[in-house]
Amino acid sequence: MTDDGQERFAASVLPHLDAAFNLARWLVRDAHDAQDVVQDALVRALRHFDGFRGGDPRPWLLAIVRNAAFAWLGARRPNEIEVPDDELDATLAVGAQPGDPESLAIRRAERREIDAAIAALPIAFREALVLRELEELSYREIARITDVPIGTVMSRLSRARHLLAVALRPEATRSLA
Amino acid sequence: MNDDDLWLDALLDDELDAAASVALQRRLAAEPALQRRFDERRALRDAVRTQATRHAAPEALRANLEAMLAAPARANVARERAPRRLRGALPWATGIGGALVATLCTLVAVDPAALGWHRGDALTSQQTAEASEAVSAHTRALLVDHPIEVASSDQHTVRPWLSARLNFVPPVVDLVAQGYPLVGARRDVLSGETAAALVYRHGAHVISVFVRPAEANAPAGVEATRVVRGFNVIERTQGGLAFCFVSDVNPADLRALADLVTPLAGK
Repeated sequence: MTDDGQERFAASVLPHLDAAFNLARWLVRDAHDAQDVVQDALVRALRHFDGFRGGDPRPWLLAIVRNAAFAWLGARRPNEIEVPDDELDATLAVGAQPGDPESLAIRRAERREIDAAIAALPIAFREALVLRELEELSYREIARITDVPIGTVMSRLSRARHLLAVALRPEATRSLA
Repeated sequence: MNDDDLWLDALLDDELDAAASVALQRRLAAEPALQRRFDERRALRDAVRTQATRHAAPEALRANLEAMLAAPARANVARERAPRRLRGALPWATGIGGALVATLCTLVAVDPAALGWHRGDALTSQQTAEASEAVSAHTRALLVDHPIEVASSDQHTVRPWLSARLNFVPPVVDLVAQGYPLVGARRDVLSGETAAALVYRHGAHVISVFVRPAEANAPAGVEATRVVRGFNVIERTQGGLAFCFVSDVNPADLRALADLVTPLAGK
């Protein structure tokens, strides 16, 4: 790579460093570990920058960060990324008590509670939610980043929101306190 | 959760085409329960968007990456500009950044298979994982953490410092005459065990040498050379110690250092 390529890389990627760190931080749930992940990702991104064909660099970078985070977790905390489907179903069942829709009304939750509820989501739901709500990416972009079909993104996002609503509804927050 | 939620979410996320959107909005107008559900969904979405923490990149991370990217790409330029002596954190970061970037760029053309396993059959996947950890420790040290805890080219300073902090004694020797000045050392953790990390310099390149006691059943004299994420790695077991040499320097120069360091083990 030439100096010029390096400058182009810096100009394309560094503006999205906050987004990269935010995603890594939400996936590995630790600020120091997230720095490691972002560094790994940037080194990989630089190496593959020649393969980047223009367009929006943010989803491209986030895909690399996401993969770096999963590789990092796979090497150190593999149980966090190997969540079997039936366990996800069990997670959902907790909140699946049928009831009137009003029971899902969330109370005015504080930042701390919302952060905790997001952090507690299984990683597949968490990444979909963070990419959608915090990075405001489209379903198509999220599908590309997380390497699943758009339909899966939709159902994960929907499940993530459902779990958050359950975690944040009044009786749940009372019982947490 | 039901299928309606998928549609409500898609509407909320502006992902429905015009026809589907109109159809769903008609349903919302006709079904108060569905409308209520939609409102709750939106309230939740708004709460998350306004309240959830967006973690900003720490300044140290940004500064290090900027330094890495501001450094010149070509190895020869990096070498010219690399500080001769490392006195503080900043020259370290910029000097190494240049070397690191230069190597990452040139290594794109290297076929990893050509430089991969030498004696693959003698090594296990665990050792591959350790090489990967060593590379992570090496890059982490270059980019963020303190690369060295004891900064000295004097082996008589570094060796006692390490001996006092480890339950084994790594060989420490300054090889400046051979072109590998000792920069310093630190403690690091590999596979959950404390290791000594000796830091050498060769031209514009930094070489980490990780040393820790070999496992009791480790075969002596086994060596592996490989490329891990663009870094050359040589692992050797000798004199009851396991060595791991990591650098972006070329394999021949890395091997030369390994040959200089490992004969000293156990003496």
